[in-house]
Amino acid sequence: MKILIVGAGKVGITLAEFLSLEDHDITIVDNDERAIQRAGNTLDVMCIKGPGGSPSVLREAGAEEADLLLATTNMDEVNMLCALTAKRMGTRYTVARIRDVVYTEDLESLRRDLDIDAVINPEYSAALEISRLLRFPAAADVDTFFRGKVEMIGIMVQNGDHIVGVPLASLFEGRRAVLFSAAQRGDEVIIPDGAFIPQAGDKLYITGTPRELAAYLRELGRVLPRIQSVFLVGGGRIAHYLAKLLLPMGVRVTIVERDEAESRRISERLPEVLVLNGDGTDEELLFSEHFTNNDAFVSLTGRDEDNLVAALYARQQGLRKVIAKCSRENYAAIGRSAGLDSVVAPKLIVVERILRIVRGFQDKSGGVMAALYRIADFGAEAAEFILQEDTPNLGKPLKDLHIRKGFLVVALLHQERVVIPSGGTVFSAGDRVIVLSHGKGLQNFRDIFEEQER
Amino acid sequence: MNYRLMLRTLGRTLQLEGLCLFLPALVALGYREDPRPFLYTIACVLLLGTPLSRLGCRPDFFTREGFVVVGLIWLVLSFFGALPFWFSGEFASFADCIFEIVSGFTTTGASVLTEIESLPRGILFWRSFSSWVGGVGVLIFTLAFLPKVGGRTQVLVQAESTGPVSSKLVPKTAQSSKVVYLIYFGLTLTELLALLLAGMPLYDAVVTTFATVCTGGFSVMNASVAAYGLPVCEIIITIFMLLGSLNFAVFFLIFTRRGRQVLGSDELRFFLGTVSAAVLLVFLSIYPSYGHAGRALLDSAFQVSSVISTTGFATVNYDTWPTLARCVLILVMFIGGCAGSTAGGLKCSRVLLLSRCAQRSLSRVLHPRAVKVVKLDGKAVDEDTLSTLSAFFTLFFLTMGAVTLVVSLDGFSITTTFSAALTCLSNVGPGLDMVGPAGNFAAFSTLSKLVLSFAMLVGRLEIFPILILLNPATWRRS
Repeated sequence: MKILIVGAGKVGITLAEFLSLEDHDITIVDNDERAIQRAGNTLDVMCIKGPGGSPSVLREAGAEEADLLLATTNMDEVNMLCALTAKRMGTRYTVARIRDVVYTEDLESLRRDLDIDAVINPEYSAALEISRLLRFPAAADVDTFFRGKVEMIGIMVQNGDHIVGVPLASLFEGRRAVLFSAAQRGDEVIIPDGAFIPQAGDKLYITGTPRELAAYLRELGRVLPRIQSVFLVGGGRIAHYLAKLLLPMGVRVTIVERDEAESRRISERLPEVLVLNGDGTDEELLFSEHFTNNDAFVSLTGRDEDNLVAALYARQQGLRKVIAKCSRENYAAIGRSAGLDSVVAPKLIVVERILRIVRGFQDKSGGVMAALYRIADFGAEAAEFILQEDTPNLGKPLKDLHIRKGFLVVALLHQERVVIPSGGTVFSAGDRVIVLSHGKGLQNFRDIFEEQER
Repeated sequence: MNYRLMLRTLGRTLQLEGLCLFLPALVALGYREDPRPFLYTIACVLLLGTPLSRLGCRPDFFTREGFVVVGLIWLVLSFFGALPFWFSGEFASFADCIFEIVSGFTTTGASVLTEIESLPRGILFWRSFSSWVGGVGVLIFTLAFLPKVGGRTQVLVQAESTGPVSSKLVPKTAQSSKVVYLIYFGLTLTELLALLLAGMPLYDAVVTTFATVCTGGFSVMNASVAAYGLPVCEIIITIFMLLGSLNFAVFFLIFTRRGRQVLGSDELRFFLGTVSAAVLLVFLSIYPSYGHAGRALLDSAFQVSSVISTTGFATVNYDTWPTLARCVLILVMFIGGCAGSTAGGLKCSRVLLLSRCAQRSLSRVLHPRAVKVVKLDGKAVDEDTLSTLSAFFTLFFLTMGAVTLVVSLDGFSITTTFSAALTCLSNVGPGLDMVGPAGNFAAFSTLSKLVLSFAMLVGRLEIFPILILLNPATWRRS
């Protein structure tokens, strides 16, 4: 596929990195010589220097034949213009990053009027992800499938949990309500089979309906009461979107923002929020505001270092749920090894969205890919397929099929009913299926079967 | 530094050299000559290259590694490429073999041979073929046809391709290298057909084509192209020498129907302008002694194209021409072809950018606070690129000075010494006086031959990859 990326910033470069792994022809446009040089030196892509909003630059970059345009400059207006111009030139699908609160209010009509195919808003996506984590405080990660009917949560296995040292096959004898789907051990992601033995320190991913998962967490002794108050450090866009998501749920929100003018603006937009003007890493301020009385702490400043340190501090002070925003992957890993279980990277969330769009363009025989989720810090992916009449092996029970190693069917939606697969489960046309695999670019449902059964 | 990945890349390239050597071996067999010099060399490179190419390694690869590995590969490749010459016993010393093969790979076309026609055809074929392989670049060739070297291969292409900035034709490096080679194959086949139709014998047509499209200039005749006495061939060769010194992107743009962009290229216009001006000056200078306008025009066009494209073919001994004509030829020797071509020299885009910089400095004297941006093809050129450019220019002349000094130890005339250094550094081939079209490099001492070989490599790889090898800081650990 020919992909055009405008803007060689954090998001643009990360997208190029992941997309170039999947064998696409990528061209990056940016007006900054240094950014372009860095991209050209580290990635196998074509680089063009020039303002992305200019039609001649877009034409030179091949907008006339491009399949996909991703406008990710730091200016929303430029992104909209890019998408609009490229569409007129013949680009098949356009995606623009629009994140300013001014535009996001009327996003849908704006998108329609400008003929942009999709809008990405990393800050909003990050806020959504954080709000999900806050709703499920016992889990370090939460992903939802089938519009919330099925969830996959990640929990850290601790010493003393009854599952430590017991093979999965004997753990789940007779009960099939939840499914162990993946395990992250160090840097490695394992798609487990019955012989897998959980160890303390693993992060286990479990799939099931929200109700069954809650029951299972209770069984494990991991019940945390509902989060009722949240302390946010950093009053940027994510904090704004997050507060907007949390307030209707009846959660009390406090935001600490360093910049005075910015603090005033937040207070103007979100009158229900308690806005504090000051440094969120300042101990004095934190204690004078009794921040330990909050249920959750989220650090969202522009600096990864501040976020990690503030989060570690909050954890040490005993806050129940601590989440840090961290864009740089190497820092995120440090944060995790220091004991932070929830680290959110906005740019990775965006990458996930884009990869989903890109995969959607590809081969549709044997099952249409409806969605794609990256889990376990991008070590694995969950793909949602809609089975078609020509999908192989319809009507055969799962225990008679040979599914390749490294692939796991974790959930099935059969006539709007959730099925957690077992040996007797049967695929039928029209079913929606979630397949978990190591993120190696699964594109076609039939690829999960051994050669002779495709 | 990631030595394992460097060795692996080296192994890949050696394997490729082994494959290339089969061709001259076949030619030798076809003419009932001894193929053993080639077979021994093939055994050597494959025995060394195959285990190296299987090394497992981490994929981290940065600009530093790219430049070092390109420099090293060219040195090692030249060493093994010289072996067939040495095994054949036709050369007086190993230094001669090295000089000859470096001259081939770097598309210089300077020779130490006095009696070319008496050599085995297989050996002469390898000599011409080596310059064809070196023309676009051995690593680019490796990337196009033996991909999966691993790591950030674009760094290698950057280090090996010519011109101040390397730009890709299509987004993927391997794909881009393939496109470049397709264009190269296309040019080669077209010229071969044209020469055959014009009546040149097959073997001569093949080796002449190899020497033209890579702007190398090795001929299998003592008298170079003049030996054939076919004016049509001279016209064909003139055209292909000029085509070979154009940026390959030009052909790509024309094939993809973006010809209009080509017309906007400052470099192309500068190149064509320089060629026309030089041809005119040489014509005016030699016309009085010729008396025949057609012949004088063809000779001046051929010689100017031959020198500016850094090929080095000769249809006439221009050493006997008036001083004006000879000076023009020396000046265009400095300039060379366009960036992204197989030609040597400073490259038109560099000369153009440098003169624009100079212009800017001049205008700063008048308006000290003036802000001016240097542009190429209507686009602003980054100040970093410009400072690299002046570093390149300085190093080019320093190298030339040093080489001239060493060669002067042999005690030949100033014209000989100076033009030998320039012609090697610019990858042209013949110079003036003793190293003129009628002469050769046989008389130089071993030291001079090695230093001139070094100059050819420095010129072909555009200085940095070779000089970086000599910089002790490159080899320090941190």
